[in-house]
Amino acid sequence: MQSSYATKLIDLIESKAEKIAKQWAADVMKHNRTPSYHPLRKDLVIEQGVNFYRLFRQMSLAEIPYEEAKNFSWRYAEEFYQQKIPLHEALYALILMRRHLWLYAEFQGTFVTALEKQQAVESLNRTILMFDYVSYQVTEKYQQLTVEAVNKKLGIVKTFLMGKLVGGLKNTYKVAFMAILIIAACILTYYNHTAGQVVVFTHLFYIPIILAAIWWGKKGVLVPIILAIVLVASHSIFLKNAPFVDDIIRAVMFIVIGLVVGWLMDSVKKMEEPYEPFKS
Amino acid sequence: MKAFASKLVDLTQKNAEKIAWQWAKDVKSNLKTNSYHDAPEEKIIDQAANFYQYFQEMFSHETPFERAEEVFQKYARERHAEGVPLHEAVYALILMRRHIWLYAEFQTIFTVEAEHRKAVESLSRTILMFDYIIYVVTREYWKLMKPEVTKN
Repeated sequence: MQSSYATKLIDLIESKAEKIAKQWAADVMKHNRTPSYHPLRKDLVIEQGVNFYRLFRQMSLAEIPYEEAKNFSWRYAEEFYQQKIPLHEALYALILMRRHLWLYAEFQGTFVTALEKQQAVESLNRTILMFDYVSYQVTEKYQQLTVEAVNKKLGIVKTFLMGKLVGGLKNTYKVAFMAILIIAACILTYYNHTAGQVVVFTHLFYIPIILAAIWWGKKGVLVPIILAIVLVASHSIFLKNAPFVDDIIRAVMFIVIGLVVGWLMDSVKKMEEPYEPFKS
Repeated sequence: MKAFASKLVDLTQKNAEKIAWQWAKDVKSNLKTNSYHDAPEEKIIDQAANFYQYFQEMFSHETPFERAEEVFQKYARERHAEGVPLHEAVYALILMRRHIWLYAEFQTIFTVEAEHRKAVESLSRTILMFDYIIYVVTREYWKLMKPEVTKN
């Protein structure tokens, strides 16, 4: 049930929405805590103010006010996110909206008598509740939009490096799979070196090297080091008469490629870290 | 200013532990603060009790916004490091404010008619302090998010 005090405030807000919104816009467009609003178009800013003040009536009529607030909050967040307004400024602008509403009510002498003062406390509580809903929803939406933007930017890299496919495996499986690949590489080296074949089989070694870098970053360099040792050791045992230089260069390249890809993967992970708390 | 403020501040300071306990109970079951549900109760009670102490100090400070910056940037970094999403951190702050007021109402500190004016002023000042805190916490989180990644 809507009480008379609430109606009084709602009526005032609705009839003066544009006027209060203009006062708010003038404030927010020069306030030192909302510098990103300064260059915005005034009509766009006023429109958001009017939408906020009209939300009051809509919320008081709605069965679930929290759900009703979403219509405003999400649009507000999307619009100002697109304008590249930082979240703290968008929230502070909302704070100013609430203050202007209250300033206007006070200025109009809406709550004069003792009884009206008591009603003022209740009205103030109602205003705050609405603001709490909106600030929570705007923050949530901003985070969602930020995470989406980050995923979009990193998505190409992650997909390219198969981060989501093989990167999602459990570590035990990764270790087991890597052990199989290393054993396969040893067999391949032994077979080719004992047979004295000159097939460029070492290109296949880049499969475990790249996978290790994706999974473990720079720490994955252990895999190319093992493969380099296997290659050089096998050469020194089975190909004593063949020149060493080619395999030495290959061994060095394994380590260089492993380190470069590992460093890149660590950088990608670091870029994602600050957004982890927002992914819940 | 001091007279009306001191009543609420005194109450908050004296009962910081009790208010913190009530807040912790709420935040551990509230649907909008999921990441607090599994947090150790003692830890979050301490967190809130400290918060109320800082709040009381800020309330009577000459430059409350500057004081909020000194204290709550660290608070934001700690919550971020704990993996608390910003909207939940903001809602936990909102609940902290509500619990101050709920406690004051429950204790009926503003009983007589003349005190309703004081109540409005106390409430306004409390809200102002929380506005500063929410702004500082959000700004710090935003910095930690390095939003330059999202530009262009």
